Amino acid sequence: MSDIGGDFIFRGMAEALGWLTLTIVLYIAARRVQSAAKGNPLANSVLLAAVPIMMILTVADVPVSQYQEGGIVLLWILGPATVALAVPFFINFIHVRAAWKPMAVALLVGSVVAVISSVLIGHLLGASIETVRSLAPKTVTTPIAMGISEEIGGIPELTAAFVIFTGIIGAVAASAVFKLVGVSDARARGFGMGVAAGGIGTARAFQESLIAGTFSGVGMTLNGIITAILLPLLWLAFS
Amino acid sequence: MARKRPLALRILLWALAFLALVACNEVGGYICDRFGLPVPGTVIGLLIMLAVLAVLRRVPEGLNEVAVYLLSHLNLFYVPAGVGVLGYVALVARDFWPIVITLFVSTFLATIAGGLAFQFVARATDKREADK
Repeated sequence: MSDIGGDFIFRGMAEALGWLTLTIVLYIAARRVQSAAKGNPLANSVLLAAVPIMMILTVADVPVSQYQEGGIVLLWILGPATVALAVPFFINFIHVRAAWKPMAVALLVGSVVAVISSVLIGHLLGASIETVRSLAPKTVTTPIAMGISEEIGGIPELTAAFVIFTGIIGAVAASAVFKLVGVSDARARGFGMGVAAGGIGTARAFQESLIAGTFSGVGMTLNGIITAILLPLLWLAFS
Repeated sequence: MARKRPLALRILLWALAFLALVACNEVGGYICDRFGLPVPGTVIGLLIMLAVLAVLRRVPEGLNEVAVYLLSHLNLFYVPAGVGVLGYVALVARDFWPIVITLFVSTFLATIAGGLAFQFVARATDKREADK
């Protein structure tokens, strides 16, 4: 063993730990801003934390791969955190199961419209194939969407960003859109937001009412499961 | 209010709950690899956890606490993914307008479709139930 090798590994670990610490500190600060903005969907803590890091990396001319040595720890926890979605789903499903018929139809219609419209519009407007693949699962909650993106040959990081912007758009626009088309049922509003705008939509739905939030969370998880099973299969069938 | 468990025991239960989540995730990943399923392993892990809860018919307290904690900080785990977009600046710049238009139009359509479909079927089934 040479001392140089050991020193190199040690320095790499210290740097990874530094990036990890910076990420956590910025995230805590971003949460403060978010709660000061009273949970406004535009004050998104992922954006508020990621943008300064992107600026630092660009200015300091550090490659993203070097940052990810630290970031990988957080990405790893995403796996078990996705499994944890089963817990609120199990608890809430008891409260919503009476409405299983409208949920089943809305789930099918919502997820099909989401996937087909994003693939078609992206393709027709001339986006490259990687972009279209990354757009396809964009209404699914982030951790599941990243997995789907990987299965169908998209770029998981891009998908994550698309999911976040989709969630912000959906959360900001949902009440106006629902008013326009006359959706007044709190359950329908919540479920629609969960299917179309994932976790950010669900946070917004909980601001409307407990019923809307509960249906939104269930819609989000069901949409994640269904899209994860169907989208890669359909993609393989049609390509 | 249930009696409070000693802290050491609660920490142990949290650790076990986290391990259970990790185990579901790993088993899900293994099943997908083993059978070549084109599904993210973590979703199979989610379904395994759901099956376990259905058999238990309740959520253990420690598991609930860990799940609530992890899910309330999901955004932290997305930050590295968001930063990762920096590696694809050229692609995003090239496809900028198709991306922006797709995000807006598709999200509006999906929101309307999901909300309207739910309300339509809910009214139909509620009415039928009332007619019985």
